[in-house]
Amino acid sequence: MPSLQRYLRSIYRVGFRAWWRQLNYIGDAKSGRFVGQDQFGNKYFENYNAEEEVPGRQRWVDFAQVHYQASQVPPEWHSWISHIRKDPPTEDAVIAASRQPWQQPWTESLTGTRGAYKPYNTVAPKINAWEPKVSPRA
Amino acid sequence: MFRTAANSARRMAFRAPGALPARRSLHASATTLQDKIPPPNYSLSATEPITTIAQHGSNQLSLETPQNKAEYVLSTLDKVANWARQSSMWPMTFGLACCAVEMMHMAAARYDQDRLGVVFRASPRQSDIMIVAGTLTNKMGPALRKVYDQMPEPRWVISMGSCANGGGYYHYSYSVVRGCDRIVPVDIYVPGCPPTAEALLYGMLQLQRKMRRARSSVLWYRK
Repeated sequence: MPSLQRYLRSIYRVGFRAWWRQLNYIGDAKSGRFVGQDQFGNKYFENYNAEEEVPGRQRWVDFAQVHYQASQVPPEWHSWISHIRKDPPTEDAVIAASRQPWQQPWTESLTGTRGAYKPYNTVAPKINAWEPKVSPRA
Repeated sequence: MFRTAANSARRMAFRAPGALPARRSLHASATTLQDKIPPPNYSLSATEPITTIAQHGSNQLSLETPQNKAEYVLSTLDKVANWARQSSMWPMTFGLACCAVEMMHMAAARYDQDRLGVVFRASPRQSDIMIVAGTLTNKMGPALRKVYDQMPEPRWVISMGSCANGGGYYHYSYSVVRGCDRIVPVDIYVPGCPPTAEALLYGMLQLQRKMRRARSSVLWYRK
């Protein structure tokens, strides 16, 4: 359960700098076991102590990017952080075996950038700029 | 015809198979040196992620890069305004059908929109986002437009669900508007029938990204 003792204990464990970073990114002081790091540098933690974390907050990610978003978590780690898999992908034999040679490297969502997916389209655009035409006077 | 096909085939050959085109070339005709060296389509760096690489050579990146002191000040002011806007998004709820239930789930305890500063506001005059959730019928169209016109600038619209995006299941009905983007300009389309509360919340976060990109005063200065 969240309490003042837990908060202070977490600050004591992680140190002042990490606490300041957590305050800016997570908004809470959390401490736990460092589970692993993905290829992008996102760090993953877990803490199953029932006195410190409530269910649903037991696994968390420390994003590498300043402008973080959920799609920066690669699918293997997504399955871990969403409790689909018990073990992290670094230890999970099933995840390692299901890695296919034709698999593409993971990219985050490119929505809103120039790399956003745009399907081939031949339909006339729905929105057009207004071109005023004055009808001749009779 | 043949020439274009050959060009596109050559462009495909330079690109890694199945890779995302991180940067779109603006000019189709002239092949420059930049076309021959494909931009990286994958990045592990936290300081230059793929989203930054994809923006190379765009007007947006130019706006975000201040060229003199005045622009530096103005873009900082823009960032402050963006921060204020993105951290208190007040959506006008336009719940029309079952999507509205998922919208309520976003407000409820599990997804808890309040922690992001998203508060539903019943009045269009005090809200800056409109979430069009559900089937927009012909009869509702004028009301939607009127509510949109009552909202103060700057305003954004999220189209939620297949029906609002393009008519969806009722696309061929005689009484349904085939997408609310025929009535109001839409910023974010959330797909799904209905989209989960999680998907809508992700849409809200994408709208935050969009708000963060705004550089209106730099644009004014450059003009």
